Amino acid sequence: MIAQQIINAVSLGGVYALLALGLAIVFSIVGLINFAHGELMTLSGYALLASLVLGFPFPMAVLVAVSCGALAAVAMERIAFRPMRSASVTSLLLTSFAVSSLLKVVFQNGISARPQAVAMPGWMTGAFSFGDFTIGVGPSISIVVSALALIALEVFLRRSVTGTAMRAAAEDFDVVRLMGIPASRIIATAFLLSGLLAGLAAMLWVAQRASVDPLMGFTPVLKAFIAAVVGGLGSLPGAVAGGFLLGIIEVLLQATLPAAIAPYRDAIVLSGVIAVLLLRPQGLIPAVRVQRS
Amino acid sequence: MPSLYRLHRAALCAAVFGVAAVSTASAEEIIIGAATAQTGVLAPYDQPALAGLRMALDELNAKGGLGGKYTVKLMIKDTRSDTAQTATVAQELIDAGARIMITPCDADPSISAGQLTQPLGIPTLTLCGSAPVLTGAVGDVMFGTYPADNVQATAVADFAVSEGKKKVFLLTSPDTTYTANLPEYFGKVFEKKGGAVVGRGTFTMGQPDFSAEITNIKGLADKPDLIMTAAYEPDFPAFIQQLRGAGVTIPVYGADAIGTPTIKALGKLVDGVVYTAAGYAEPGSKLEAFNAAFTKYAGHAPESTYEVNGYEIGLILDQAVKTAGSDDPKAIRNAIANLRDFEGITGKITYAGTNRMPLRPVALMRYEGGEGKHVETLIPDAADVPAP
Repeated sequence: MIAQQIINAVSLGGVYALLALGLAIVFSIVGLINFAHGELMTLSGYALLASLVLGFPFPMAVLVAVSCGALAAVAMERIAFRPMRSASVTSLLLTSFAVSSLLKVVFQNGISARPQAVAMPGWMTGAFSFGDFTIGVGPSISIVVSALALIALEVFLRRSVTGTAMRAAAEDFDVVRLMGIPASRIIATAFLLSGLLAGLAAMLWVAQRASVDPLMGFTPVLKAFIAAVVGGLGSLPGAVAGGFLLGIIEVLLQATLPAAIAPYRDAIVLSGVIAVLLLRPQGLIPAVRVQRS
Repeated sequence: MPSLYRLHRAALCAAVFGVAAVSTASAEEIIIGAATAQTGVLAPYDQPALAGLRMALDELNAKGGLGGKYTVKLMIKDTRSDTAQTATVAQELIDAGARIMITPCDADPSISAGQLTQPLGIPTLTLCGSAPVLTGAVGDVMFGTYPADNVQATAVADFAVSEGKKKVFLLTSPDTTYTANLPEYFGKVFEKKGGAVVGRGTFTMGQPDFSAEITNIKGLADKPDLIMTAAYEPDFPAFIQQLRGAGVTIPVYGADAIGTPTIKALGKLVDGVVYTAAGYAEPGSKLEAFNAAFTKYAGHAPESTYEVNGYEIGLILDQAVKTAGSDDPKAIRNAIANLRDFEGITGKITYAGTNRMPLRPVALMRYEGGEGKHVETLIPDAADVPAP
């Protein structure tokens, strides 16, 4: 039982970590919390559905869907955020809300207000067991994909020139520009990475939920925001830590709270977040250069 | 800016009186206000029901209108699935002269609209809201149209007992009256008929992850042979995907809100899931004829029985205006409240003697191989139906 719940917690925490990381990458460089991040997930979800309907093999469909998320993020930056680059943080924030609402309405009116079922392959609902202990294929994939994505991102940021430039930009963007590195490229890469992470998270999300709907991005972006704040806004290791912490607390409460108190689960989680912030106002692992949105 | 505000108010007054003048000018017209969700979470339920109602009203208008006399003008405003917005648009519709009000497929927004129509005596019908507490919460103008939650739950419980099910796990969500109460009604009937409730769990609507709850179900000392829930989309697909993914094969039963194309499209995943509907189109039945007519009217087949339910609302209103012999809202209300054994499309509908939630048949359905198969149609014994 306990081992099972630990797997549940790590699997959920991994998805939250991917989401929070997507928000944090953009925030660390542009100082924007992109609330339209959830709609990138929705878009990837619909792209997966469309590819499957068109008869693409499953791995191909996943590839198309994740790329759609990444490209949409770059397009979003180009169309909505680049013209606002010199604007205040508040204007950027409002722009992200506007993009989010706009996309939701487009999905609702252009596709359908009704959730669309996504038929995941049969093996994904399977489970394998060791003795009296069963692990679902879904949660296992979730854990493996999150871990691989986190490692890949770390390698990219440590080993590549663009990655190094991005880490530098997070500390002091002006100096990086003085070194002759084009700002647009850094920012576009940040959005590309955040879109990739949103696409991956969407695949894991949809695999567990079996449907996509126009409003599906709302909850994940909210969770990601909470995780990013708890971890320390703008700090990438912080976002990962915040994501796992949130996942673990949620599963733990769901597993242990008696039925009478269970409806207050979210309230208890958020109280926990406040407590963490009271003890560590800059988050669990604060960013090198602290900024507030 | 006070001057601008005054200007706005003047414009608003002009608009309201303008409309009032128009509505008195054509005495043979009756305005039906539809405060329904065109966007948001309720849209997948409101839209099919509204399509059915529109079809009925178009047909009636071609024959001279409600009661053959009053041409219907249907005014539709979007509530965005928001309770406060429902009250706002209901007020706008009342101001525009609505004499009958149609409200969304959920108790909370319907109650908020009912608070406005009750003092004015405007008959108010929810498209497919099925919480039995709904009509009592508003008052004598509020009518349900769909089989009530406690009636549906009784039908499913009767069926589960007849199948020999003994132990049930109830999965509820406190977020809406529907998801909170329907499984509990089921539990009451099930226990009364010899079954046992061996566990309860809750979820938050929109919750991403059911794994902890599912692990709890797996860990129950007293294993259930049935899970009853009123979760719908997107929670129901998530729950069942994760339940089956965790290797749990216990059957899951639900109610009307999972009788949708989305759930059906889940295919093998929902094999064996039992749900309810307002009727079943047996060959040669009125419902089959309706489905054909609707397909012609809308260009696509009905998605569920919400369409026919909406259509029946039109028929009920026609009958009520005929009986009332006028377009007076109070007379129409009384006529609906006294309706007895009215021949609808799905069967007989009775309001007389109820608390304005209709007595009508419930069809039990089961998903098999991606299709909804009819199990049986029944009207539960009134003595078995738990009090709201």
